[in-house]
Amino acid sequence: MTDRPDGYRQIEHTADLGVEIEAADLPGLFSFGAEALFGLIADPGGIEEKGEITVTATGEGWEELFHAWLRELLAQFNLKGFVGRRCEVDEVVPGCAEGRIKGETLDLKRHRFYTEIKGVTYHGFRVWQENGRWRARVIFDV
Amino acid sequence: MSKGNELVTGEIRLQRVEECLWEIPRQGGMRVPGRIYASEKLLAGLKEDNSLRQVMNVAHLPGIVGYSLAMPDIHWGYGFPIGGVAAVELNDGVISPGGVGYDINCGVRLVKSHLTYSAIQQKMPKLVETLFSFIPSGVGAQGAIPKLSKGEEKRLLRGGARWAVEQGYGRQENLDYMEEGGRLENADAELVSDRALERGLKQVGTLGSGNHFLEIGRVDEIYLSDVAQALGLFPDQLVVLIHTGSRGLGYQTCEDFLKVMNQAMAKYGIQLPDRQLACTPIGSREGQDYLAAMASAANYAWANRQVIMSLAEKAFWKALNISPAELGFSLIYDVCHNIAKMEEHVVDGKRRRLCVHRKGATRAFPPGHPQLPKAYQELGQPVLVPGDMGRYSYLLVGTEAAMEKSFGSTCHGAGRVMSRAQSKRESRGIDIDQEMARRGVVARYQGRATMAEEMPHAYKDVADVVETMDQAGISKKVARFRPVGVIKG
Repeated sequence: MTDRPDGYRQIEHTADLGVEIEAADLPGLFSFGAEALFGLIADPGGIEEKGEITVTATGEGWEELFHAWLRELLAQFNLKGFVGRRCEVDEVVPGCAEGRIKGETLDLKRHRFYTEIKGVTYHGFRVWQENGRWRARVIFDV
Repeated sequence: MSKGNELVTGEIRLQRVEECLWEIPRQGGMRVPGRIYASEKLLAGLKEDNSLRQVMNVAHLPGIVGYSLAMPDIHWGYGFPIGGVAAVELNDGVISPGGVGYDINCGVRLVKSHLTYSAIQQKMPKLVETLFSFIPSGVGAQGAIPKLSKGEEKRLLRGGARWAVEQGYGRQENLDYMEEGGRLENADAELVSDRALERGLKQVGTLGSGNHFLEIGRVDEIYLSDVAQALGLFPDQLVVLIHTGSRGLGYQTCEDFLKVMNQAMAKYGIQLPDRQLACTPIGSREGQDYLAAMASAANYAWANRQVIMSLAEKAFWKALNISPAELGFSLIYDVCHNIAKMEEHVVDGKRRRLCVHRKGATRAFPPGHPQLPKAYQELGQPVLVPGDMGRYSYLLVGTEAAMEKSFGSTCHGAGRVMSRAQSKRESRGIDIDQEMARRGVVARYQGRATMAEEMPHAYKDVADVVETMDQAGISKKVARFRPVGVIKG
């Protein structure tokens, strides 16, 4: 696994959408998690970094924290229509993660919209460390 | 691999019980066996997904009785399989938000008209365009009706479809033709989070994205002529199917309570093979709170479908320039297929009150059931099974066998057979409009990507699904509708 680049890849699921994320460290995992989520919603290539939002998540254990992080990001889209292009994670410590997302409000006339995500499921949800690298597996309900 | 009465798929061994009924024997932590309604053809399509394993996982739920059931449209979901049914004891059973799903009270309603397809065929493009402009569709769809205040939204959550009728959307008599009269009484809007309320303020009367759609169908086959006649159906008639649910308010409510229940499970000593099955005892504070919040979201979905039906009626009047009497819009029935309900069923010869989870499954009560409207007492409950927007949709009726075998439940749709990514790949190079036109369907949609994921090739043939239920005696085919117009997100 160590020769694989950091980032995320989509995995097959019959009804929903899944991603596997891999990074050298936890901030990287959280950052790519954000980009994976927004990348499933809309084509990041068309998103401009016009605005910035700060997202904070809390949760016990890395799994619950990463789940909470994704839920908070999804809430930004659901409540404000915000789609991110780039994520800078400032801090991931036990119990708390904080980061800044650069992006803008979804505009269906300009942006290539892909999928509405209903929720971040716990089905097969995993965050784990392997050969010194961090990995996560998430299924989104769409 | 099939050997007469036994079939092995992956590591799972199934035993044939009836022609279209298979059992996974109780093993490991399963409290009951699993039972799957499927033809060999449909079962063969499941070998590469995890849905059978999910049937086994659901069998671990505390208090589950009878069987962990799956309908023939079963496919891989999260926690429960889509097409899963689980009935649990009220005293020592659990309630699982994952057994209801994110889209609480996702459901279907069927509306009949006085029109024939032949008479308005030339006007279909205009009709579909008008429907698309009247009914907001797709991601973030909003603004079908003026934005609600939170106080008004809470009244909606208590009133369900009744609230919509009081606001002038539809008619009082519509309420007789919905499960529960379009309103669950135990709704408590105070248990719905602020975030969920916020998401619901502007989405009443909207279709949303994903697999939701409004379909204009033409009656092209009638199987039970006496039932069809009693329901006012005739060949070539235009009908409308509306498939949507509780939108963002429901998704958020599910998410809120999954978190609550995941944290609370340890307190109740519950261990399950999949965290998405998170649950707590029905009688616990968390369980009761979820049921009251779920009921609120279910009521939102009924109000949503009621408003959409009313908007669709106005679109028909405008596009075709006809009077309400000429159109003759009339609700046949409205069903939920993502819900948990308290119902009476006979288990081991004893009548018991159970909580029935239906996740991608439809209630199918028989003739004479007290919860059916007076007009349907002799017919049985109408069951609405939308297809893939390209081939056909079905109307069935519930039977006594459903009460005996499946806790009064049947299938809910075609069931996916292809992942969204695969469907998109298959759709590359296809002109979606031309493909739908080739099938005789005028389609209007917001997002090409969603449409590419939802093309008919991504689904099982719904005819195989309903045929399995018909053969098993669980629901009987009444009529088939060919789609002629579709709007979706």
